[in-house]
Amino acid sequence: MKRTLLLTVMLCSLAALLSAENRNHQQGTIVRMRMTDCIAPQHAFMSAMSGVQATMAESCPEYVLVTDSVVYVIIGKSSNQLIPLAESTPFHFQNNEVLIRVDDARKESRFHVKEMLLRPEWERNQRILDAADSAAMQRHVNGALLVDADARQ
Amino acid sequence: MASGVSAQNAETPLDATYRSAATFRSDASEVRMSFSTTDRDDRVIATLQPSDFAIVDHDLVIRDFRSFTLTEYSHIDVTLLVDESGSISPQFRQELASVTRFLAQSGGVPEQSFSILSFRDLKPTVLCQGNCRALDLGAQFPPVSSGGQTPLYDSVVFAARLMGQRSDHHTRKFLVIFSDGADTISLRSFSDAVDSALDNDVAIYTVDVSKAPHVHPGTLILRALAVNTGGRSFSLESGASNVLDAILKDFHATYTVAYKLPSHAAGFHLVRILPTRDLGLQFHCRRGYYYPNPEN
Repeated sequence: MKRTLLLTVMLCSLAALLSAENRNHQQGTIVRMRMTDCIAPQHAFMSAMSGVQATMAESCPEYVLVTDSVVYVIIGKSSNQLIPLAESTPFHFQNNEVLIRVDDARKESRFHVKEMLLRPEWERNQRILDAADSAAMQRHVNGALLVDADARQ
Repeated sequence: MASGVSAQNAETPLDATYRSAATFRSDASEVRMSFSTTDRDDRVIATLQPSDFAIVDHDLVIRDFRSFTLTEYSHIDVTLLVDESGSISPQFRQELASVTRFLAQSGGVPEQSFSILSFRDLKPTVLCQGNCRALDLGAQFPPVSSGGQTPLYDSVVFAARLMGQRSDHHTRKFLVIFSDGADTISLRSFSDAVDSALDNDVAIYTVDVSKAPHVHPGTLILRALAVNTGGRSFSLESGASNVLDAILKDFHATYTVAYKLPSHAAGFHLVRILPTRDLGLQFHCRRGYYYPNPEN
């Protein structure tokens, strides 16, 4: 009787755990990707938080993952840890890491969280970058006008 | 391989006169990139859809394209660049045999599409242009390579410029290098060689003729030349027919995608094409393009 009760409790706990896990699944969109220095695994979180990064010779993929409320900068643990750049990327958290399942892979890929920003803050930064880019474009246009004016004289 | 930044302004006759100077200074707003695709078994994909890939330009992921087409080139230019320097002496006969097989199996390609250049010592030599099938390769080269320096990068620059001068944008240009990848005397650098190929829209295919049991620096050089220009690399053992087959498949299945210039940051824009679903897809394209500094 005790054994049955224990089994029932364990099954209920597992179901609750899986249910919680599913609830934590999120969707995001990858808007940036680059190869950058890998973070030493044993110090990943602490070094990222302290701003001092232990680096290895290998390059790892870094992604900017945008969700409705938060923007994550995540970094892979090896150079070949690429994920498909689909419009929507499902992911969830486990032990301060982002887990993403690639379709034909057995296991989920684990990514360090390098940086987190609230989306409004990230959008404000993007607007500043866009303004700088527009200014650069304007300089190109002005340069073209000068070249054309010189040519016509 | 036509690609680069294009201007969207209306053009007057005077503008056309100064097009070369003004194009990159005007309101350039579109990037065009040509590429081919293979699956995990190295088979060319001829049914690619725009939803199958995304472009990463200057770190930015781009999924919205202005256009996506299967490119129809009207001509093909295949130039073979044959290393006859001292470093490949032991493999020279095999190298020549491979070049001969390559030509023999290219019956479907017009005669005028082929050229052969060789290089050793200080400069490359044009052996034939448009009449290569009639050429007796055995008579052109000594029985064994008699030694000499290897001006690989200089020869790539020379060949790319030659191909650029005699072809237009409707011609797909392939430079096939038979070499061990060692350069011993060039005035030009590896970067010059890549830049010259990119400037002239030349895709470099390489055939590594070295017999080294392990990957050696020359092999890496040859691979890098191919990867940076949208070509592919092969070993001598993989066979001339495979090289020709890959070239012809790429010729018939080249895609061109156009998208809005994502950033006006001056300098080299590194471009990668990556899959949105199937990670087994490999995209072969040039490594990027230059966006000029407005002050220059």
